[in-house]
Amino acid sequence: MESGDEEATEKHRIHLRPATLRDAAPVTLHLLPCEILANRPAPVGRFFTPAIRQRPAGLEVSFRGRLLRGEKVMVPRGLAGYVMVMDEKAEVLERKYASRGSKNDDEKEQQERPEPMERDFDRFLRATASFASFHLWGLETVPGPDAKVRGALTWPSLAAAIHAQVPED
Amino acid sequence: MDLSDLERNNTGRCRLSSPVPAVCRKEPCVLGVDEAGRGPVLGPMVYAICYCPLSRLADLEALKVADSKTLSESERDRLFAKMKEDRDFVGWALDVLSPNLISTSMLGRVKYNLNSLSHDTAAGLVQYALDRSVKVTQVFVDTVGLPEKYQERLQQRFPGIEVTVKAKADALYPVVSAASICAKVARDQAVRSWQFVEKLQDVDADYGSGYPNDPKTKAWLKKHVEPIFGFPQFVRFSWRTAQSILEEEAEGVTWEDSLAEDQEGLRRITSYFLSEGPRPRLPHRYFQERGLESATTL
Repeated sequence: MESGDEEATEKHRIHLRPATLRDAAPVTLHLLPCEILANRPAPVGRFFTPAIRQRPAGLEVSFRGRLLRGEKVMVPRGLAGYVMVMDEKAEVLERKYASRGSKNDDEKEQQERPEPMERDFDRFLRATASFASFHLWGLETVPGPDAKVRGALTWPSLAAAIHAQVPED
Repeated sequence: MDLSDLERNNTGRCRLSSPVPAVCRKEPCVLGVDEAGRGPVLGPMVYAICYCPLSRLADLEALKVADSKTLSESERDRLFAKMKEDRDFVGWALDVLSPNLISTSMLGRVKYNLNSLSHDTAAGLVQYALDRSVKVTQVFVDTVGLPEKYQERLQQRFPGIEVTVKAKADALYPVVSAASICAKVARDQAVRSWQFVEKLQDVDADYGSGYPNDPKTKAWLKKHVEPIFGFPQFVRFSWRTAQSILEEEAEGVTWEDSLAEDQEGLRRITSYFLSEGPRPRLPHRYFQERGLESATTL
């Protein structure tokens, strides 16, 4: 680990907007066996969802002319799935000013208080959707029980067991 | 031609056929194989067989069937209707291979090229006629690839049948001409009444001939690129024309199997003699196997 990283973690706080967890609507997610070199909304409902077929061997679809076979994976018991988005700095500032009074009051307030919990350079996470299951797709074969993601989902329960307090006898 | 089965499901393959004329189960028959829509970047490829008793070949010839490419669309439709009238001695069957099936075959982990797909489909249709007890004794096929090799393959698969594979068989043998008409009529109709799987808004129906060198087809492809998903399934993604438009106008995609190829690349021989410095400490195997990495920042 580089010291620069540590500094950054020290300085920035990430806040979760709790209200967004309550309002997050359920959504259908697809995990594809490829990386799409873009990060933005896509017309999944028009191009992908209508092309999914239920076959005897499982779900089938194609993406960019390649055959995908898939299955539904449940989020493990005790966990909940959320799609999280990091607010841009500009959005954070906008919200802040929108919810506050005049600028003069603001300045006074800041002088009086020590350090606020939320600072202009902090970042904010917000849930945009929730899920209890997702579709896992494999290239031509159903990912099956050995899929990496399934393994990854077993980590939280193991982590909880490792970090649990051991009773002292 | 009733293509409603295809319209309901056009992501795979679809077989259509006429009833088998009773006489074709009793008398030795000649069977022709041909295809339509092999070259286009749009729509399905259709394989067809047509068969009749050797004794009635003259009657089929009397219909003045010819290579479907030399006929106009209305002439083909008229001839196909005539063949329907002659259903007491002419039978046919089709295999419609959807563009999605063609794309996924050619772009599979193990590449299944168009020639092999064509050969297997043709052989499948001959087998289909045999399974329905058509007394096939002679088969004529319009070639795909080298006629000698293709003929050898088919002859091996059907040892009891006399197989002839020839270039331009659709112009030489009336039974192949008849098959070419069936294939072309079905392909045209399938393209015309194509049901897009995707929910598209205002699809331009003017896609030209569908051949990659047709400017209209190219313009249609460029107009209907979707940056994430590429094209609708109506397009054969495996065609070079489609691929190069995607490279220019759509987002890049890296597949897990293309990554594996990169990693397996050979190292330079000299690299084995150089000290590599301290190896980075890898996380425990538990995490590697699950694709987990620790995150210190978001």
